[in-house]
Amino acid sequence: MKGHRNPSPITHHPSRIPYFPGCALKDQARGFERAARAAMERLGYELAELPRWNCCGTVYSLSSDDLMRHVAPVRNFIRVQEMGERKLVTLCAMCYNTLRRSADFVSADPERLRRINAFMDEEPDYAGGVEVLHLLQILRDEITFEEVEAKVERPLYGLKVAPYYGCMLLRPREVGIDDPDAPEVMELLVEYLGAEAVDSPHKVECCGAYQTVANPGIARERVQEIVGAAARRGADVIITSCPLCTYNLEHHQLGEEKPHHPSLITHHPIPVLYFTQLLAYALGVPEGELGFEDAAIDPRPALSQRVGG
Amino acid sequence: MVERKMNPSPITHHPLRIPAGEPDFVRKVEELSGEDVFACYQCGKCSAGCPFTSGMDLLPAEVIRLLQLGDERVLSSRSPWVCASCLACEVRCPKGVDIAKVMEALRLLVLRKGETGLTWEEIPPGVPQIALVGATRKLTP
Ligand code: SF4
Ligand code: SF4
Repeated sequence: MKGHRNPSPITHHPSRIPYFPGCALKDQARGFERAARAAMERLGYELAELPRWNCCGTVYSLSSDDLMRHVAPVRNFIRVQEMGERKLVTLCAMCYNTLRRSADFVSADPERLRRINAFMDEEPDYAGGVEVLHLLQILRDEITFEEVEAKVERPLYGLKVAPYYGCMLLRPREVGIDDPDAPEVMELLVEYLGAEAVDSPHKVECCGAYQTVANPGIARERVQEIVGAAARRGADVIITSCPLCTYNLEHHQLGEEKPHHPSLITHHPIPVLYFTQLLAYALGVPEGELGFEDAAIDPRPALSQRVGG
Repeated sequence: MVERKMNPSPITHHPLRIPAGEPDFVRKVEELSGEDVFACYQCGKCSAGCPFTSGMDLLPAEVIRLLQLGDERVLSSRSPWVCASCLACEVRCPKGVDIAKVMEALRLLVLRKGETGLTWEEIPPGVPQIALVGATRKLTP
């Protein structure tokens, strides 16, 4: 037996959490990660990046016979195992979904895992048991929002924030971090930070995802409906946990093309932030460390106007 | 073969199950997806909640219906190529049919013949790599 089961049922260092960044967080979503690291540090936690992590594959394979698509996630689980840990936290909702579903897929049937382990003969065997979590779960269930509130240095009074969940944090139900029809985890976070959460019926509807490549017109239609609904409810900013949602929500608000329905876009563009940026901002992390300058729609005017810099 | 979850009522069951058995392509879709398309009772909740129907030629429930009927027109439908695997249908189906998996199986029947649902000329500049990886994994062989 090459591998061995991690003997500890929980992470060895409760304040040091194995962390899978994923590709986008090293590229166009750097602010998402920088802000998360800074915020977690203020909360007394460290995100310990997996050594030699590889891309999760981005989208989970929905076919029953595609074992190859699970090799990339399993390889990352072996890295967690080598750290002597059991938990793995992600920030990107797509990574969360792909890794979490793969973890469930291989643990549901020992034969699948056996074949994947046999295929990856250069790696130690994955013994199973890695628990994939999203940072919002750590904040809500482990650190608790009360604890977060106690560390707020810059309360976001007066700021209206529309959480946008999209798909991958919530569906399918078995892997959702909250109720897929009526989630509230981001609303709670926002309110513990002192801001006002703006609810919108479109917050769980798909932004167009990767169809932004093949069918950009439909993605644009989706985004205008989602952003239009948030705008009509007075949102100053939208928050997400996904670099692809953020790209779509920003990109399809801008541009020359006319809105597909005139009533949908009757407002100025609404900035889109990662929830970690809002969190770190409220915890008092200096604005220059949050990656706001990478946003396609600058959030700083809205933040300073409401919160007062 | 997928195990039937449906109540095999002689009234609804019989006319749908053509005596000669399901056509091959329906069986393949069921195998690839792991879903029982005959569990669907055509309530339409999947179609009502799908945010991408404006680009589809068949509604999600119609895709399932044509599969039940063994109608090959479903194989040339545009709908699986517009589906974004958002799973809105999956969480809503009262019969537990994961339509997103059925859509994926319909794509795979085409992709595994080496055909593509996406050509590179269509790609707009500046899109993030997760969109490109997602699109190529779902829409190209
Ligand atoms: S929601 Fe389920 S049962 Fe209803 S039409 Fe769609 S697939 Fe059939
Ligand atoms: S998974 Fe596909 S068919 Fe189902 S609701 Fe989403 S886009 Fe529509």
